[in-house]
Amino acid sequence: MAVYKRTYTRYTGPLTDERWRFTILPRFMLKTVFSSRIALLALLIAMIPHLIALVLIYLRSHVDSLIALQLQDMAQELQYLNIDGRFFLVVFAFETFISFAIVAFLGPGLVSPDLSNNALPLYLSRPFSRAEYVMGKLSVLALLTSAVTWIPGLLLFFLQTVMTELSWATGNVRILAGIVVGSWIWILTTSMLALAMSAWVKWRTIATASLLGIYFVAAGFGTVTNEILNTGYGTVLNMASNMRMVWRWFFLGESVYRVEVGPSVTLPAWTGLAAMAVICSVALLLLAWKIRPAEVVR
Amino acid sequence: MASSEDRQIVFDNVSKSYGEVLGVNHVNLSLEPGITSLVGPNGAGKTTLMNLMTGLLRPSKGTVSVLGVSPSDPEVFYRNIGYCSQFEAFPRGLSGYQMVHSTLMLHGLSPQKAEERSWNVIERVGMTEAARRRVAGYSKGMRQRIRLALALAHDPKVLVLDEPLNGLDPMARNEAIELFRKFAESGMHVVISSHIMHEVDIISDRVVMMSGGYVVAEGDIQGVRHEMEEHPIQILIRCDRPGLIAANVFEQDSVVEARIHSDGLGLLVSTRDPDRFYDLLNRIILQHRISIEAVSPADENVHAVYQYLVGGNGMGTS
Repeated sequence: MAVYKRTYTRYTGPLTDERWRFTILPRFMLKTVFSSRIALLALLIAMIPHLIALVLIYLRSHVDSLIALQLQDMAQELQYLNIDGRFFLVVFAFETFISFAIVAFLGPGLVSPDLSNNALPLYLSRPFSRAEYVMGKLSVLALLTSAVTWIPGLLLFFLQTVMTELSWATGNVRILAGIVVGSWIWILTTSMLALAMSAWVKWRTIATASLLGIYFVAAGFGTVTNEILNTGYGTVLNMASNMRMVWRWFFLGESVYRVEVGPSVTLPAWTGLAAMAVICSVALLLLAWKIRPAEVVR
Repeated sequence: MASSEDRQIVFDNVSKSYGEVLGVNHVNLSLEPGITSLVGPNGAGKTTLMNLMTGLLRPSKGTVSVLGVSPSDPEVFYRNIGYCSQFEAFPRGLSGYQMVHSTLMLHGLSPQKAEERSWNVIERVGMTEAARRRVAGYSKGMRQRIRLALALAHDPKVLVLDEPLNGLDPMARNEAIELFRKFAESGMHVVISSHIMHEVDIISDRVVMMSGGYVVAEGDIQGVRHEMEEHPIQILIRCDRPGLIAANVFEQDSVVEARIHSDGLGLLVSTRDPDRFYDLLNRIILQHRISIEAVSPADENVHAVYQYLVGGNGMGTS
């Protein structure tokens, strides 16, 4: 057999760590996101609650300076402001919705183009698994939502520690745990749900509408369920309420959640966590069903 | 010393079904290096076989190994395989270069090494000038070239190409065929699915003919054709005195038919023993000093063989 003189030889050098190859997927996606002015502006707007909180924490620690600057009224108001679990609860209540809006805006465009273009074999005929594909897509949303949840949240926590003393931090470890763990619970649940929607609904607008539907319509349905069946368990259909249960447990140490709309009943805080786990599991199943390396033509 | 299985693509009693729908059934194949074409109509199981070969599908029964490596060892398995799917599957917004670069990074190359090799392979498929442009703006032929670059980028030993010549202009088509030949000559496996029978004839060292999920024939096309004893081989002869040849060929029992062309300048002979027939033909030509324009097998091609075996025309892209 004639041997063709080859000039392009196989690469035999060192390979990158397999565990981090999923980070290749977000490279170009993040570049695209940051090249869009609207997306950039949305991200900046999303940081406003944390910026306000940052300023409040700073001013709260400099009340004397405010008085010196003849700003007595403001100083007086700030003296009543406690930087505690309730303060962080308010900040994160805003960020819960804002981060969901980011996920709803960007999530539906992540998987559906690959599916409608049959691009999955392109990724999966490489040393790259389905799990890594999902992780790669998930990391896009996780990175962006982290930038408006736990990362600035940690900054606030450390700023408050620096402004007061270490004992404040040691006395509020629960808040620290809430910022990190609570944020990740929300990030994972919403991102998984968005990816599942993106995998099942090929039209981006419909996928976004479906996500908003789950967020708002399911919440309304939950309230109606509570009213009709005179129960509080309809609340588990409300993603925001579920997350509120988790936040309250972390930030305020409340193990029981009082249902805000409908009959006056309480729910154990773990129901919120359990509901989020169920949403995550269902989303994972939907993704496993849809993310397949080869399109089966029947 | 590598065993023969270490240089073969082996299907060992492989079946794949999708629920109640049969993809492929009881496939036993050992493919040697060279160009192998998969032939069959829609639903024959060609794409399923390719997906099994590239580890994109796992068999319901049996085992698949490529150069001695199972798909359960993806890091090694996918270093050996370059797959070019039939779909125009490109993530939105990326340029040709970005596609190739990301692919190489998925194979574990650092960004710098991936960049170097990306330009190398892009040049190889003649896409250097357009590489910075978005794939969405490419012509069909340019997309096909980038798909080929994606399959070739990591220098695989097995190239699996689903309809690789679709959309290429004649010149690009010839270049691609030439490229495949060079790969095959260098000891690579090139597995092609094509519904253009003429191309399959030109390109292939061997064919795998499929129908309804079964492999109905496999091997080099002449070999397959010669095994089909119930269908005598047809030999086309263009000459000045076809009647004389027709009168003499029946001294052989294996000749079953001789038909003179309507223009009187040729005939079609059907024989069950072509080797003996060619000897006889030589004798007749020399004896009677007949002027010969052409002698060629008329049905020793993929299209004819497929028709004899399955009854269909073998066209399709499944």
